Amino acid sequence: MSPHSVSLFSIALALFAAPATAQQAAAVIAIPPLTTPDEKATGAGSPAAVAWQASQLIASDLRTTAELVPVGPDQKDYYSYPEVTAPTFSRWRAKGAKFVLTGFVRSRPDGRLTVGCYVYDTVKGRELGRTGFVVAPEDWRRAAHKCSGIAYTAATGAPGIFDTRIAYVAESGPPGARVKRIAIMDGDGNNQSFVTAGDTIVLTPRLSPKAENLAFVSYVDGQANVRIVNLASSEQRPLVAGSGGMSFAPRFAPDGRRIVFSMQAGPNTDIYVADSSGGPAQRLTAAPGIDTDPSFSPDGARIAFESDRSGNQQIYTMAADGAGQRRISFGGGWYAAPVWSPDGEWIAFARRIPGVGSRIGVMKPDGSGEKLLTDGALDEGPSWAASSHELIFQRAGPDGRPALYRVTLAGGDARKVVTPQDASDPDWSGVVD
Amino acid sequence: MRRAFLLLALMGSAASAQFPGLSRRPSAPPPPVPLLMGIDGLRAEFAAQSGSDKVYFGGDSAVLTAPARATLAAQAQWLRRHPEIIVRIEGHADPSDTRDHALAVAARRAEEVRDYLVLLGVPAAQLSTVSWGKERIAVMGASQDALALNRRAVTVLVR
Repeated sequence: MSPHSVSLFSIALALFAAPATAQQAAAVIAIPPLTTPDEKATGAGSPAAVAWQASQLIASDLRTTAELVPVGPDQKDYYSYPEVTAPTFSRWRAKGAKFVLTGFVRSRPDGRLTVGCYVYDTVKGRELGRTGFVVAPEDWRRAAHKCSGIAYTAATGAPGIFDTRIAYVAESGPPGARVKRIAIMDGDGNNQSFVTAGDTIVLTPRLSPKAENLAFVSYVDGQANVRIVNLASSEQRPLVAGSGGMSFAPRFAPDGRRIVFSMQAGPNTDIYVADSSGGPAQRLTAAPGIDTDPSFSPDGARIAFESDRSGNQQIYTMAADGAGQRRISFGGGWYAAPVWSPDGEWIAFARRIPGVGSRIGVMKPDGSGEKLLTDGALDEGPSWAASSHELIFQRAGPDGRPALYRVTLAGGDARKVVTPQDASDPDWSGVVD
Repeated sequence: MRRAFLLLALMGSAASAQFPGLSRRPSAPPPPVPLLMGIDGLRAEFAAQSGSDKVYFGGDSAVLTAPARATLAAQAQWLRRHPEIIVRIEGHADPSDTRDHALAVAARRAEEVRDYLVLLGVPAAQLSTVSWGKERIAVMGASQDALALNRRAVTVLVR
């Protein structure tokens, strides 16, 4: 297939050959600079400038993963336009690269740019994936993230985590009177924006699967209650009207149409489900005690949640209609904040161990195979990356100030995610369309 | 103007000090005293006469301890004498609790205090509750003492 036919792409398109099997060790992927056909302009927003910036961003994206080690981009690795779809595999094999990503940036008559990317296995000499994107010159970052995504998927078989959004609570001010604002950024930390003004306490932002809507908890009515905001229109409304008690701990169902959450009545807190567009809430749990932090399985059939019905916080699962409630955590201490992984394989949690601290861990949905992934004193609020290979969470420092960290399922040290202010309650979206 | 209020307030407290027996007769509270003291003054008087405007809880617990019950009995006595005062009971959790469980357990603490005050004769209509979870930390630090000082319910006079 010649590169010219990619101009037919009007929206994101990815065709995958059979993905390579999961890598044991990190594999090298060569990222030679994207090329530009017959274009002389070099100013900002020109195809040549965007090609170079996009190549650097792709390498930077892939460098944040545990599975891939990017090499490049290097100006001297330039290749011609026809070579985009006919790379010289031996050249990249000689550099130790198992994969190579090629691509191009081309201007269109309407002023926008076409960005195309291809991923190849250098050993088998086979294409593993491709994507094409037509973007305004200023939106080149998203096209680059899509290219990173096909490289990641080709190497691991898992969805890429680059064209995603992260919602969190930005914090400032003294400890007793923190100013909290809902903030959203791209998966790579760019494009920071605020959703709320900071005039009232807000907690636990939760993005809908495609990051179109956001559920969060606000004290705007004097007590904690779940609100829903449409991120395009900024239209905002309460999830349940006039419940009396507080409502909190919202999370979208995988279809984005329902929300599970907690509602408190007197000393009791139970789990409810409601349409995200409004309507009455249906009660799912009725045990005396605090049932909270519900999270749907990716097929929408089951819900994991925490309950202190046994005496302290433990993790339970149940069917989506509340049937068959069953405890799955039995280690020492408290287990809180379960979150089902997008691939359905794991439930992440925060485990409080007296005298040790609060750690992030994972277990299988039947409670087996528990492993702890972090070693902070006060880690909580895990949220999965779309890949199901990584988690973002909140870690409080010795001074109590929280920051966001990422840790991979494979283990290793947690890495700090840079944010302009202190940050808590992270929530990582699925891949944005 | 302000000075006149303060003077009246002082006269008021001096008057009640001359008849201490009045406040020990729960079955027949005196008619409401006109609200002459500012809310800050009332809060100070409430805290002083009740021993504290706060009660404290054990870890992950909303059970009222004996000292907490004693404080609440004194609070109830004052509140019965001031049925015109609107009160909000604010529950708090310590920062070692997880975000959402902290909200629920702090709500439970506030509810426990409210229920106990009602049991002691404070009109329920006078009382509301709110949970601040771990959003309003009173004492920083991870020591057991610091954590214990955050697990509290505060009886806040609103107006």
